Amino acid sequence: MSNATNSRAESIARVLPALDYSKIAIYLLVMTFAAFFISPIWTGLVTAFKTTGAVTATTPFLPPGPDGFTLQKWTTAIEYLSTGMTNSLLMSFPATIASVTLGSTAAYGLTLVDWHKRTQFAVLVLFMFGIFIPYQAVLVPLSDFWINMVGVDGLVGPVLGGLPFFTERHSRLFAVTVTHVVYGIPICMLLFRGYYVALSDELIEAAKIDGASITSIYRRIVLPLSKPMFGVVFIYQFTMIWNEFLFSLTLIGSSASPAATVTLVLSGLGSDLTGVDFGLRMAGAFVAALPTLIIYVLFAEQFAKGLASDN
Amino acid sequence: MANVSLAAATKTFDDDGDQIVAVDELDLDIQDGEFLVLVGPSGCGKSTTLRMVAGLESPSSGTITLGDEVINDKTPQERDIAMVFQSYALYPHMTVRGNMAFGLEESTDLSDAEITDRVDEAADILGITDLLDRKPGELSGGQQQRVALGRAIVRDPKVFLLDEPLANLDAKLRAEMRTELQQLQEDLDTTTIYVTHDQTEAMTMSDRIAILDGGELQQVGTPMECYHEPANVFVAGFIGEPSMNFFDVTNEGDVLVGEDFRYPVSEAAAAAVQGHDDLVLGIRPENIEIVEDPVADDVLPAVVDVVEPHGNENAVHLRFADQDGGTRFTATVGGMRSLSGGQEVGVRFPEDALHLFDGHSGDALRNRIVEDLDQVEQIGTT
Repeated sequence: MSNATNSRAESIARVLPALDYSKIAIYLLVMTFAAFFISPIWTGLVTAFKTTGAVTATTPFLPPGPDGFTLQKWTTAIEYLSTGMTNSLLMSFPATIASVTLGSTAAYGLTLVDWHKRTQFAVLVLFMFGIFIPYQAVLVPLSDFWINMVGVDGLVGPVLGGLPFFTERHSRLFAVTVTHVVYGIPICMLLFRGYYVALSDELIEAAKIDGASITSIYRRIVLPLSKPMFGVVFIYQFTMIWNEFLFSLTLIGSSASPAATVTLVLSGLGSDLTGVDFGLRMAGAFVAALPTLIIYVLFAEQFAKGLASDN
Repeated sequence: MANVSLAAATKTFDDDGDQIVAVDELDLDIQDGEFLVLVGPSGCGKSTTLRMVAGLESPSSGTITLGDEVINDKTPQERDIAMVFQSYALYPHMTVRGNMAFGLEESTDLSDAEITDRVDEAADILGITDLLDRKPGELSGGQQQRVALGRAIVRDPKVFLLDEPLANLDAKLRAEMRTELQQLQEDLDTTTIYVTHDQTEAMTMSDRIAILDGGELQQVGTPMECYHEPANVFVAGFIGEPSMNFFDVTNEGDVLVGEDFRYPVSEAAAAAVQGHDDLVLGIRPENIEIVEDPVADDVLPAVVDVVEPHGNENAVHLRFADQDGGTRFTATVGGMRSLSGGQEVGVRFPEDALHLFDGHSGDALRNRIVEDLDQVEQIGTT
């Protein structure tokens, strides 16, 4: 008996010296910050599982009791958002792929291809302008351009009219896609540029001496070597486009439109004349965020590699 | 295969409005099948010269000819040359086979089977057949170097350009590769321009050496010519290890007066330097004779500072015996000869071994007398 007490005291004593006060303080601080940052997401998550009654009856960050628990908010959210999700996917993937690819080729042309240095610099400056133009400043001309000058409403219809679910309004989705590509190229170019500037000059020179043309140097040397960077830029650009709201709002207009993107639908979800359904809004937010999370997981390895090689 | 010639080739770089001359009116003819080494200290313009031949830099003025064709305006892709870089610049995402086949795929119309054959053949020559399926990252420095060479020879180009290809290898491997490269070039008989800062590589491998300094060509000649008949002080000091000893002397007709010594010269030597008051007297370490007796006839008293044993020979650092520490110089003696620090000795400078340079321009006025340089040549090249 005394033996057991002894060994227990000893084992506590063995643990204690490692826990000095500064370490305890650091752990407390870390835990406080962790709780601080996680609490909104946690609160949102538990709210999404509460019935409308439970949302008002319970403390926001506490899980619902057995009678306050429901999955109904999730099913409603998925049902409500599914068209928006489809529209967003139809818009985001082509827009991301196009802007990343064009950004990469633009960066290649401005760093690793030898041509008029001054013109190269001038073009680079134009790209920089492109990054810093605020969205708000172009919204009115943008919608004027697409709707009145291009007349996008009648443009895509004849081509894609035969597809199921297609309505005239889906032409607006095409306008949003192209707008995202145009707005995405400068920042994608800048991200790739940093990577290409650091790429060994001798590698490109060796390829030139081996007889490779500008296009085959890109295709066979630069493109395969920038795979990690493609991962980084793809994640970044996809998240930006998926979450973007202003262009959708301006060009598509209403969350009731058959072409409405998920962000547009989400903005109207769970709020009507009877009040705000917080549980539904939270569930909807999680559903809408799902594709970006999946992309992160899929490209995580590339992302880490890209960040490591960039530094 | 072809000869390469540079005529008044000049390259200037613009540095914030300042014009920096990297290569200054370089005239150089490289014969078909010749192994020419461009050597000089860092920043002497040797790499820029090579890059101009490669087409990676365009000359500011002058012409570069390959075969009978002026290639100034041709891109590197159109020149049919191969280059080995100091960093090897292997394509990291391709296998060794991919690296070697790349040039053939891009610059020729050969079928896949023919490309495979040629890669196999080149890999066989270099003994890298078992590495063909590996990536460059899995190879040692020496193996990467071989792959870089393989990538060049598989193309069977008109000219090989090598930019310090051995600089990243360890000393032993470098010595092996020197011999091997030389042998390879002899077998392939392809015109080769080799850039290095290492005078040993220049001496041992080349048919001819071109020595550059400050963008200007100092001398072109066979290794033995450059060693025994340097055109100026720079070449004399650059070629040879340990390097030549130099002493500033004044010409007083039949005697050369240095800080620590008076050196009486023969009529022939006096005639060669007539009219030049300030001279530089040069003598190679191996030509200095050390005698035990510091006060014998025609010897100069000196004190041994440090002896560096190299095994086969000893490098002896000496200074003239003087109250306030005389000029330092170096001599080499046989490895079996024992000398120790602090020992007082006599040194003799045989007149036949003296080089005399103009003190201002640095040009050689009289070089050492070699009985028959052609005979030395023959020993050197066989």
